[in-house]
Amino acid sequence: MALGSALRRLTLFDRYLVVIFALLVVVSFLFPFSKQPGARVVVDADHRTVYTAPLNENRTFEVSGPLGDTRLTIENGAVRVLSSPCPQKICIGMGEAHQAGDLLACVPNRIVIRVEGQAEGESYDLLSR
Amino acid sequence: MTSSAVDPVQLEQVRQRVFLALFIALAVALHAVEYLLPSPLPWFRFGLSNILTLTALFLYGPRAAWTVTLSRILIGSLLLGTLFSPGFLLSLSGGVLATLLMTSAFSLFRPHIGPVGVSVLGALGHVSGQLLIAWLLIVRHPSIWLMLPFFLLFSLISGIINGVAADMLLEFLLKHPAFARLKKIGREQTQKIDH
Repeated sequence: MALGSALRRLTLFDRYLVVIFALLVVVSFLFPFSKQPGARVVVDADHRTVYTAPLNENRTFEVSGPLGDTRLTIENGAVRVLSSPCPQKICIGMGEAHQAGDLLACVPNRIVIRVEGQAEGESYDLLSR
Repeated sequence: MTSSAVDPVQLEQVRQRVFLALFIALAVALHAVEYLLPSPLPWFRFGLSNILTLTALFLYGPRAAWTVTLSRILIGSLLLGTLFSPGFLLSLSGGVLATLLMTSAFSLFRPHIGPVGVSVLGALGHVSGQLLIAWLLIVRHPSIWLMLPFFLLFSLISGIINGVAADMLLEFLLKHPAFARLKKIGREQTQKIDH
């Protein structure tokens, strides 16, 4: 097969290199780089920000959407969905969000919960040229 | 094709220049086509021009490889209208790091390493160079490094493909009488003529 003849073009050294590189790739997928600790929770309903709260204070609150109210709680530095009027409850199943960039969403109720880090709001999020 | 009345050393030098010019032209063409092809992932390029850099490296040595890469980047970006743009900086940094890794690996590991190994290192260098400069100069947001695993995976695959293609090209070229005076550097002892 063509693949076999292609593989024969790799010397022994090449094969080792490829294996090492492949391991590097696997490690890079597993290693969670540059995830900063979250600092605040931003909740968007229908793409408009309706609620923000710091991540370090325990709190329970509700956000309303077209289907009803979604209850959220911030506990121990993480935010999660307690209850929601959506049919499949996927948002509850998404679990906790605690690092910067983490996202939870209740799509039927059009609610997106984001965790933002310290520095955000200052750096630009789009560069066009 | 070979002239017996001409000094063979000079003939070989001229041949080398002509072939490098051809390689550069091919590399620029490949670069331009890749850049212009529509793709859902704009930063993920196969880097087919690297095939020509590899061929130059294995036929004529590290200096030739640098010549091909730097010329390809300059002429390619001039042609595409991206000279001195941020994209050009990324391309240049990727290309420089890639060629650095390739020529060092070539000089250090010469008989053992083949075009595929060198190509894989080149792809790694290219991607790392680009991400590094993108992080330092353009996007200072650390989440750019989240793209690293995907870039690495893509570069591994394209590195292998380019390496195999370069190996096939070298095999084919070495059969031609124009290259009869030099054997592929690395696998066998060479009669390479340096200028």
